Amino acid sequence: MIRTAVGLAVLVAFGTAHAQDKPKPPPAWHQGKPAAMADSKLAPHAGRMTATPTSEIPIDKLNLPKGFTVEIWASGIPGGRAMARGDKGKIYVGTRVIGRVYEVTDDGNRRTSRVVVDKLTQPAGVAFANGSLYVMAINKVLRFDGIEDNPNVQPVDLTDKFNLPPEQHHNWKYIAFGPDKKLYVPFGAPCNICEVSPEYAQLRRYNPDGSGMEVLARGIRNTVGFDWHPKTGELWFTDHGRDWMGDEGPQDELNRVAKPGLNFGFPYCHAQGVPDPDVKKADACKDVTRPVALMGPHAAAMGVLFYTGTMFPAEYRDTMFIARKGSWNRTKPFGFDVVNVRASPDGKNAKVTPFMTGFQEAKADGYKFWGRPAYLLQMPDGALLVSDEQMGAIYRVSYAAPKK
Amino acid sequence: MGSKSRAGRWALATALLVSAAAAQDRVPLCAACHGADGNSSIPGTPSLAAQPKLFLETQLVLFREEVRVSPQMQPAVRGLSDGEIRRLAEHYARLPARSAANAPADAAQVERGMALAQKLHCGSCHLPDYHGREQIPRLAAQREDYLVESMLAYRDNRRTGADTIMAAALYGVSDADIRALAHYLARLR
Repeated sequence: MIRTAVGLAVLVAFGTAHAQDKPKPPPAWHQGKPAAMADSKLAPHAGRMTATPTSEIPIDKLNLPKGFTVEIWASGIPGGRAMARGDKGKIYVGTRVIGRVYEVTDDGNRRTSRVVVDKLTQPAGVAFANGSLYVMAINKVLRFDGIEDNPNVQPVDLTDKFNLPPEQHHNWKYIAFGPDKKLYVPFGAPCNICEVSPEYAQLRRYNPDGSGMEVLARGIRNTVGFDWHPKTGELWFTDHGRDWMGDEGPQDELNRVAKPGLNFGFPYCHAQGVPDPDVKKADACKDVTRPVALMGPHAAAMGVLFYTGTMFPAEYRDTMFIARKGSWNRTKPFGFDVVNVRASPDGKNAKVTPFMTGFQEAKADGYKFWGRPAYLLQMPDGALLVSDEQMGAIYRVSYAAPKK
Repeated sequence: MGSKSRAGRWALATALLVSAAAAQDRVPLCAACHGADGNSSIPGTPSLAAQPKLFLETQLVLFREEVRVSPQMQPAVRGLSDGEIRRLAEHYARLPARSAANAPADAAQVERGMALAQKLHCGSCHLPDYHGREQIPRLAAQREDYLVESMLAYRDNRRTGADTIMAAALYGVSDADIRALAHYLARLR
């Protein structure tokens, strides 16, 4: 087991110092909940911790544009979400609650999976570079060198190098290497809505060994998905809007980082200039970078992928796919789909179009979903992998021109 | 009474573990600590009766995966398949809950706990009758000592991994308030 006594001691020490040094904010869970919603019974949806047999995955319910096909590519990986592809084709999949990282091997006909590491505190972040798998949990950073050749390699523990702050809420990770070979790591706000201390609500980048940390952008509530524009090399990221402000928002955002040092508004300003009703300051939206697109109220916009393949029709080249895991803090469901987003490289004229739907029953008034699409990965042949955190499965979307 | 002590029960449970594993039926093993009817009479050991099925399922998986660490539970769930976990969860979800609170209610504590539960919006997820649902546990009629210890562990980041929402919900709540919450919830039906 990897949870070391030292790691626990550090956590305890941090927790104690933290509790004494700072005035305690109201509990994050219900902060900002208006009186009108006091009797609300909205709650986060239950995940599924056990393997779902393929026979219980109603893949036929999914809808895609003409010419696209979807199949179950891998299953039996409960909680699987972000995916990273190794140099030799193995796919690594992070999780939250169940604490595992999976490795999926494709022999050309079928996929098998194994657990690479487990017993971690929400190891949601996975990234691959130079033959090494990087795994980031809320309180741990591990590197598995040469893992594709040596499945039993012992990890190098890089935790101390990354200086992770102690709060857990919204501090599970999405991680990825940028075109600059640096590792990009978000640090979410440890609350629904609150003033944050300086180490939270931001996106950082590090050298792969944890040195050279820079804060790239601030005012970010909880980003768990980003990618780089294939032409400009600029980073675009999704950010989840706050809860308990009603059904209509504030909406999730799609943002563009045109340069380092930008402020994206949290906690004072949301979406396209909505001042926060609870955490107020004068000119709340002054100097706040506005989103490229609004991604929907409580939609849980997650994985972002710029499509650069040649399998899909040319109109998809350099456009984005974004997975929306779906709302809970809303009386009627929103999201539960994968959308296609087209925008100019400078972020103008963004247009969001449904691409993959059918995870939630279209005509149902309440929550009747079976799957929750979370992350996307482009394969070398141009096919699109979509992870479904609810079903513990990965789907493969491919395209063949319809016969005339 | 020696046989009702935690150590005594644990020795019995360990003995049962061997035969239970062979029999593919761990209910007798569970019953040794959690009570024959799923209502625990052992301090620190929770009642399982009438807990939501999915909550039980999730916790058993977390124990098996050693994400939720417990020296008592880890050996008890070792080797359980997903199917066995589902069957155990179904069994305990069906049993009726019975409050283990044997001391009479302290009216002031009940009132304080009720007000706190409302202020903290516990009922939004645990439901207004605190019977829980899906992955969210039943609090009504749970053992008072267990409720106190669970809430302290969440608040102090000792019970991590499964989710961060309870740590957020109890952030800054005092020990005395936690005791009042537990006193109130343990006496609900």
